[in-house]
Parts: sequence; C-alpha cells; structure tokens
Amino acid sequence: MSQNLERELSTLFEDHADRLKGQWVTEMRESGLLEQMSDVETEKRYTALYNTVVSTFRTGEFEDVGRYAKEITEEAVLRDMSVGRIIGGILKLRDIYARFIFSKYRDEKDKLYKFLDSYEPVANNILTIVTMAFVEERERVIQEQQRAMMGLSTPVLQIREEILVLPLIGTVDSERAEQILEKLLNGIVELEASVVIIDLTGVPVIDSLVANYMIKTVHAAKMLGADTIITGISPVNAQTLAGLGIDISMLITKNNLRAGLWHADQILGFKVIREKM
Amino acid sequence: MLDIPILKIEDFLVVTIQSELSDDEISALQEDILFRIKDVGAAGLIIDITALDIVDSFMGRTLSNIAATVELLGAKAVVVGIRPAVAVTLVELGIRVKWNVNTALNFDRGMKLLKRLIEAERRGGAS
Repeated sequence: MSQNLERELSTLFEDHADRLKGQWVTEMRESGLLEQMSDVETEKRYTALYNTVVSTFRTGEFEDVGRYAKEITEEAVLRDMSVGRIIGGILKLRDIYARFIFSKYRDEKDKLYKFLDSYEPVANNILTIVTMAFVEERERVIQEQQRAMMGLSTPVLQIREEILVLPLIGTVDSERAEQILEKLLNGIVELEASVVIIDLTGVPVIDSLVANYMIKTVHAAKMLGADTIITGISPVNAQTLAGLGIDISMLITKNNLRAGLWHADQILGFKVIREKM
Repeated sequence: MLDIPILKIEDFLVVTIQSELSDDEISALQEDILFRIKDVGAAGLIIDITALDIVDSFMGRTLSNIAATVELLGAKAVVVGIRPAVAVTLVELGIRVKWNVNTALNFDRGMKLLKRLIEAERRGGAS
C-alpha cells in the first residue's frame, strides 16, 4: 500500500518542484549553508538531491541514494566540506517537504497521516545512508593517511658497514611499535648489521608501552647478534622513564645521535679521521 | 628417533638443527652435545637454527640450558641463525624463560664471536 502513496508523493513533489526548490534555496541561504557557492553549483547540488529524493519515492528503492551518497561524500571529503553542510541541506529539504505535505493535506486528516507515515521512514533512511557514507568515507581517508604516514616514518638506514640508524619521528603506538620491531629485525638480517642506533629525538612522548617495546626490540636484536644503542631521549622523557619503574639498566643510552654513532664506531673498531680542514 | 650429527671443526663443535624436533629429540641432543664436548675437549659450540621457523618454550629453555651447561664444562656456546620471528617469540617467552645465550646473525659471525669470547677468557685468565 505504501508503494502507491510513495509514488503519489513523488508526483506531488515533481508538480511543485519549482516552488519547493525556491524555498530550499532561500532557507539554505538564510542559514548560511550556501556560502561560497556559486548559483550554478547550488543548482547542481539541488538537482542532484532533488532527483535522488524523487526517484527514491517513485521506485521505493534506495540504490540512487547510495550512488548519490557516494558521489557527494567523495566530493565533500575531497573539498573539505563539513558534514553539517551536506546533512544540513538534506534536513532542510526534508523539513520543506514535510511542511508542504502538511499544508497540502491539512484538511484531510486520514490522508495526511498516511502520507506522513510513508514519507518519514523514507526521508530518514535517505539521511542515514548519506550520513553513514560520509562517515565511512572520512574513515577510509584517515586510514589511508595513517598507513602512508606509518610507511614514511620508519626508515631503517645503513650509515656504515654493520651500523643501522633508525630515526623515529612522531608518536609511537603499539601498532607502530610492532611495525618498527619487525622492520628493524628484517633490516638487521638483510644488511648484516651488528649495531643498531635508535634515535628518539623526534618522539614527543615515551610512555611505558614505548619503553617496553624498546626493551623487547633490544632483546630481539641481541638474539640476531646486534647491539642496540638508544639516543635522543629528552630530559622530560628521561624523567618519565625513571618514574615508570621499568628496568632499563640493560639499555645502552647516549645523549644524542652523534654520541651514539661514536659509541657504535667504538664497538666495531671504526675510526673517523678528518683529512682536510 | 632423529640422529643429529655433531661436527667438529678445529676446536669447535657444530650442530645444525635442520627440522623441528620433538621434546625427546631435543633432550637427547642436549645429552649428546654435552658428552661430545667432554670427550673431545672442545673449546666452543655453535648451534645453527637457521632452518627453524618456530621455536617453542621448551626448545628455548633447552638452548638456554645447553649454553649454561657448556659454560660449566669450560667451553663457550653461540646460537646462530635465529630468525626475526623466532627472536620475537623468544623475547615474548622470555617473561618466563631466562634467556642468557650468546647469539650471532649467521654461522660466519658466530665463529668470529666464539673465537673472540675464547680469546677474551684466555686473556682474562692470564692476567
């Protein structure tokens, strides 16, 4: 039964398309949701939304909504548009249509209730689909960026025969710590390293988790025959570490990367000589 | 039961573990090694576990035991060829297993380390 009602609704919206559109644009403008948007763009945005809504009411299928949601969210995330704008536009249209139905059938109570009953679930559904799509798209982009960042931020550099340097930059969480451990151990095997310097100058916070991973890394590296030197712990972090009560006596720590490299050279018997001044 | 060859190179004994061993085989190997060291009067032992993808807690503990016992017999032991994944497992097990074994990346490095350790002890003993 609702299928018929919905079709009737779509016809109703189509018949009064111009008036409803005018109302939407006015209200959107009043609430500042169309800022920095040209008339052409506004037109385009409305047409897309309108077509989607009408076709959804006509067919009772939500496929078009899915497609619309995908397009608009991709565009929105790309152009850094707020959720408020997208959802605001849909909410406005929803209200306008609801008010329109109300004013149209004010005197026919039975019909009014039936229309509102069939209108509201559909309208809410459209809203949900678009919102979900928006959230998912955001999430996807965030994850992508996170992955890219993780890959970029943990290089294993060989700076001398048998010496690797691992400069860490940014916060370390357990996932990243795990990745660092794996990358370092594989680096040791591949490059046949005997000494590894982990430089923490760029790590803002060292908590017990990072400290424990560091200890784990040092032990695992030792099993592969490599000594680990930790450098660049800031005074604040040193205080934190001391306060955590984790036994770090087995860590070789040096003030900065330079001192660490010097120590590594000592272990392996390298000597750097400056030939020219 | 698997019979694992124990080779003698110069002053050292070399054991290469080629496949995963049952607990019984590991125990038997431990006994074999210790007797051979005593017989030959070896100065050092290298255990190569390059072929192992997995090392369980028993294996880890036994390796640690062998190393400690070898020291008691006056020799030095080095475990070589631990893979990254195995190292991580051993460290994680390390909460329970006290792991105090000399290790090196590969056989070549292990040989050098062993010679260094023996040399250091001889020098230490002389002074």
